[in-house]
Amino acid sequence: MRTPRLLRPLPLAAAIAAVAANARADSGVGVDTWRANKLDPTAGATVEGCDARGTSWLEAGGHRTPTGNLYACPPPSPATADHGAWTTSGILSVGAVATGGDDGNALWNRYVDWDGGIVLALLAFEAERAADGSYASVRASRISDDDEYYQAVFGRAGSYKVQAFLRDMPNLVTNTAKPIWNGVGTNHLTLPAGYAAGASTPDAIAGLSAATPERTLGVTREKQGLGFSVYLTPQWTAYANATDEQRHGARPFGGPFFFNFPFPDNGGVLETVKPIDDSTVNLSGGFRYAGTTWRMEFGYSGSFYRDRYTRYTYEMPFALAPLVPGAVSAPLTTGQFATEPDNDWHNLKAAFTRKLPLNGELSITASGGRMSQDDTLIPPVACAGVFGIGLDGNLQTGPQNPYLYDCANWNTPDALSRRSADMRIDTSLLDARMVLQPGADLTLRGGLRHEREDYRNVYLAYNPLTGQYGYVSENGSQGSVVPGESGIWDPTDPSAITRIRSLPLDMQTTEANIGADWKVGARDTLGATLAFSRYEPNHRERGTVDDGSIKLSWTNRALDWLTLRANYTYLHQDGDRYDYDPYDFTYSISLPGFVAPPNGVPAHTVDALRKYDVASRSEHKLDLMATFMPRDDMTVSASLRGDFNDYDADLGRKGYDTLGATVQWEWQPAPGSNASVYYAYDRSKLRMANINEINDGGSNPSIGGNTYVDIGRWWADDTQRNHNAGVVLAHAFGRVRLDASWNYLHARGTTDYRFASPLALAWADTVIGDGAGGGAFPAMTYRVNSFSVGLHIPLHERVALRVFDLYERGRISDWHYLGFATTHAIDHRVYTDGGPQGYDANLVGVLLDVRL
Amino acid sequence: MTAIERVIRILLGGALLAAPLAHASDDLIDLRDAPPVRGDAVAGKAKAAVCSACHGPLGVAVVPTFPNLAGQKADYLYWRLVTFKRAGDADSPMTAQVAHLDDAAMRDLAAWFASLEPAAGTNGAAGMPGATIYRDGDPARGVPPCQGCHGLDARARVGADDAARARLYPVLRGQHAAYLADRLEDLATHPPHTSTAHVMAPIARTLDAASIEAITHWLEAGAP
Amino acid sequence: MRSTDAIRRLLALVLGCATLVPALAQQSRDELAKSLPPTNLTSDDVQVGASMIGVAPGFANAKVADNPGAPGATAVGERTCIACHRLESEHFTHTFHALGLHAASKADASIPVCETCHGPGSAHAKDPGAKGLIIGYTKDSGTPIETQTKTCLACHAGGPRDRWLGSVHQRNGLSCTDCHNPMAKFSAEGLMARASINDTCAQCHRDVRLQFNRRSHMPLPEGQMSCDDCHNPHGSVTNPLLKTNSVNETCYQCHAEKRGPFLFEHAPVRESCLNCHTPHGSNQQTLLVTPLPFLCQQCHSGLRHPNDLHTPGSLGNGAHPDERAMGRACVTCHANIHGSNAPSGPKFHE
Repeated sequence: MRTPRLLRPLPLAAAIAAVAANARADSGVGVDTWRANKLDPTAGATVEGCDARGTSWLEAGGHRTPTGNLYACPPPSPATADHGAWTTSGILSVGAVATGGDDGNALWNRYVDWDGGIVLALLAFEAERAADGSYASVRASRISDDDEYYQAVFGRAGSYKVQAFLRDMPNLVTNTAKPIWNGVGTNHLTLPAGYAAGASTPDAIAGLSAATPERTLGVTREKQGLGFSVYLTPQWTAYANATDEQRHGARPFGGPFFFNFPFPDNGGVLETVKPIDDSTVNLSGGFRYAGTTWRMEFGYSGSFYRDRYTRYTYEMPFALAPLVPGAVSAPLTTGQFATEPDNDWHNLKAAFTRKLPLNGELSITASGGRMSQDDTLIPPVACAGVFGIGLDGNLQTGPQNPYLYDCANWNTPDALSRRSADMRIDTSLLDARMVLQPGADLTLRGGLRHEREDYRNVYLAYNPLTGQYGYVSENGSQGSVVPGESGIWDPTDPSAITRIRSLPLDMQTTEANIGADWKVGARDTLGATLAFSRYEPNHRERGTVDDGSIKLSWTNRALDWLTLRANYTYLHQDGDRYDYDPYDFTYSISLPGFVAPPNGVPAHTVDALRKYDVASRSEHKLDLMATFMPRDDMTVSASLRGDFNDYDADLGRKGYDTLGATVQWEWQPAPGSNASVYYAYDRSKLRMANINEINDGGSNPSIGGNTYVDIGRWWADDTQRNHNAGVVLAHAFGRVRLDASWNYLHARGTTDYRFASPLALAWADTVIGDGAGGGAFPAMTYRVNSFSVGLHIPLHERVALRVFDLYERGRISDWHYLGFATTHAIDHRVYTDGGPQGYDANLVGVLLDVRL
Repeated sequence: MTAIERVIRILLGGALLAAPLAHASDDLIDLRDAPPVRGDAVAGKAKAAVCSACHGPLGVAVVPTFPNLAGQKADYLYWRLVTFKRAGDADSPMTAQVAHLDDAAMRDLAAWFASLEPAAGTNGAAGMPGATIYRDGDPARGVPPCQGCHGLDARARVGADDAARARLYPVLRGQHAAYLADRLEDLATHPPHTSTAHVMAPIARTLDAASIEAITHWLEAGAP
Repeated sequence: MRSTDAIRRLLALVLGCATLVPALAQQSRDELAKSLPPTNLTSDDVQVGASMIGVAPGFANAKVADNPGAPGATAVGERTCIACHRLESEHFTHTFHALGLHAASKADASIPVCETCHGPGSAHAKDPGAKGLIIGYTKDSGTPIETQTKTCLACHAGGPRDRWLGSVHQRNGLSCTDCHNPMAKFSAEGLMARASINDTCAQCHRDVRLQFNRRSHMPLPEGQMSCDDCHNPHGSVTNPLLKTNSVNETCYQCHAEKRGPFLFEHAPVRESCLNCHTPHGSNQQTLLVTPLPFLCQQCHSGLRHPNDLHTPGSLGNGAHPDERAMGRACVTCHANIHGSNAPSGPKFHE
């Protein structure tokens, strides 16, 4: 029999599937599930209001979800027009917006670019052909050049769908940026004329910073996507998506040229500006089968990140000075950063589910992936001349100046042990789950999961030109201030301690769980789940981290007007012996010629510290949700959520507790009229402890030895309290609709600390006496009052006028930026970002809605 | 003032003027959450003298084109009077009758007629064709079983307790066939503007003449 | 020319070409309908040639749902349902299910419309007040949750819903209609119960939704993304219902630059982004759990500069302005904190 006509284009279809880019995916795969903007986050769903006739001619009011929440009101039927076999409907909403007040503020403009003027609030157009279920639709909204989306979809219901979209999303990071460099947004930042690199004074740079006008820094994402999904047969479907996202912009970043805090007029702490100019192509595609006994899914996902720049460089304004008298520091002028490497990711997945007797199911998912990057490596340093310290007072390299190095031996790719990164991680996952329902009231579940990440390469920091190991620390500055601390291990100076090897973080996790759900009577369901998880990381403080947990849940619908859900989890995490320093193999300590310094190898860290991701802890988690239905048209929902973690750690994170409660009242007396009020309180507290050393060369890692002693201990608690409240109203006065809302957030964070003695402090002279003490940072607060009101006035059968106003008042205080109002440059520190600011801003808009 | 602000002010002013013009009243009688009708049956009896001319002294009409009112639901009767009043149809004999009735009078009359003994009906047989349509509907044509709203015994006692429906939907048992046929035709052609008419009007339009004939005669027969 | 313009033109071209696809597919389907035996397996009286177009595969197996609450009921057809439920039907007509079911029903009269989801209607039509005689999806409908979800899954099994059984929402007794309402177009996409995906999740998860209002957050309140971008509420292979195999893989979907693998990795980053970030909203900059430097000092007590306790004296307006507490604190120097690809980047300075 000849290949049926339909099957012949299949290879081509498969090819298209393989090539097509990630457009909008579904709730199983991919992002871009929602396209809207701040002007209308519902993408036009509420433009037409509510159908005044209600939901049904048979009864009043609306219905509730099985949990008890009221459904929204159905919108009125769209006005349709017939064009032959096609029925069309649509709305075009255009108008103008204007902003006032602090409308340049970064918090006001986060993720939106109002750019006052004409806006296309919404173009939504749909066409349907009832005869065969074909449809086509277009939706678009444009606030400004950097804040817009367009999408087009067409297909046939139950047969195929093609979707394409284009969207630009702005992200404003700061509006108080004062970068002193030229070339912001490019990969080479230079000081303006008149300011010599490596030779400018702090006063001159402070003046330059003050004279630099404030500007914004942000990133815009431009994304295009194409995708399709198709029913090949009633059981088989195929999908393919592709997206390409470009990011353009710049953001405050960093730049180290060694400490300034212990060495006045020395070092360099530079908040440079990193250029963002990259693109990510995401692909996904697959086949799904859903039959009566079997279900299957085969999928491929790929992601390809490409960065325009491999590195960016910046000019260092300040000169460095050696700590040793009589010596001279190399003149360093240029710092560098490697930008994120181009990387590729491939992932294949296969999932099989088979129905079992006893109304059950067995699911097995296997997935394997690979993340790899082979970007060209930048040289260890971007200097010219020499770097390091000339102990004899001059800048001649040679045996008389063992800590002075020729840049020519380090500023070239020849100084690397290999030219490209060649790093790869292979991931694999196997997950099996079985559910059985032996009776109508009983469900039994069990699952097993195993996943691994395998690192496939290690990098050795070795310079073939010089036969030395290590790297050039902080653009050469550290070694130019402190002799012998360039980060280079030389066989003739075998006691230098420096990183020489990358850290491969292979890991595997194995999990098992069993559980049961039991319907006790018609109104109650109880559930219990026991889970065990073993996490085995390589080269971490613990080789085995075990989690055991029990989760109990209860759903109750005993009362007609109340639905209750409660969940409680207890988890205990433990593991094998905690090794405070498994990292020797990444340091020069592990080199054959290494000789321990006379006072011993300095302790890597204090051995009582527990890193919280592998620490032992117990956790209690509680979740309560209640939905009350006091009247047919009213719902009150309340929830309480708590998560309490206690870490078994003398030092490090000791506890992290969060508690949140919300209550919401909602009333829908008539179609087109509704009111809701909510209040939420959220509190979190993180407790930690640490210890300052008394001897920064001490070799004993234990407290009470020659390095760490009890009087160096300190503790800090960070408490966050958030109050949220809001009122939303909507009412129809005849045919005019009014909606108004007020939303309030008050967030307040306090960081308290206490210490055993001033020895624990960064600056002992900031406290009086030498006993224990404590204090707190100024509160970190963020308060927003947001008020919006809108009127929808029908002018004509097909035309309506919308007028709206959004007023927002924000107040923020972040103690990281205290003092930045005066200057962004203190001594050898230069900051670009001035921090977030409060604002009073208003948006007013007028739109004309025309039914198409 | 910027150009945008000027434009906004003009449009806002225009909108505020247009607002009253845009207001349109919707005169739908929404019975979906209508409160129960209560009236004084004794007072209603006193006012019912005029009604007996057409509807009979005990609420059982002699002329088959006039409906029996005895034992009819009070809520149904009341709202029927209200729709007569609102419609103001010159062709209907009821228009003149309701013209001088106030709200209390309509409630009282409804209560009075609801309290009366319903018509016994003639002898009928369960095997009449109308019975099948009444009980099972006509899926091929899209006619739902009348018993769903009007009750298995056509006394509008719906299966489960559902307050609004039990009050509003009329008793059909023992009603004159001719009247029922006229009523269905009215509903099909010019239904009153009530929420329940939105349900009955399309059903009335769907019923063909033969079905109407069968159902109405079966209902008149009063057979269970 | 901006790359966007080029892409737009390319897209227009592609879309133009793509419009040919349905034409091609349609011709093939017509030919197929003539050459292969009928594929409608739902009933015996197949109407071959009833429509040149045929039933769309997605609706081909639509049949009257099974309602254990009304064992003897028979199907009555859409017209009977509409007779009483006219307004519901009017709202329904403009939804996607209606488009597909009506077209399928035209091509093959044995494919039901209303009763595909609501089950056979004869018992309900006779006694509409009795609960459970028709499959209802609202509170007080009388239909058990299991029946509701089983009915939806009769067509919508597999794909994103493959892990529904045993998932946390299923175990907590949720029905499909707690989040979806296909009876009217409440939302622009997804047939949600509220105007958007985010509003739907916020019915129960209001506390999480409110966290997005904090100082640093991802653009969910601004409508640029939804809860569904990261989570699959229908069930997944992970505990927090993520769409990918792990937390990090979920984040890399939009933040691919953080994937690496970097030459020098930062262990907590590779293990989980949530070691330092909180995904829904934070009062710190960039979604951090705790202010710098304290965030880093939970793990770092190395000699020299990491483990000193800072006081307000270390701030920009203090007695000893200290770069370890000012501005972006630790990450001003350790800027490539997520991992560095620089050979001189073991401490993320480059």
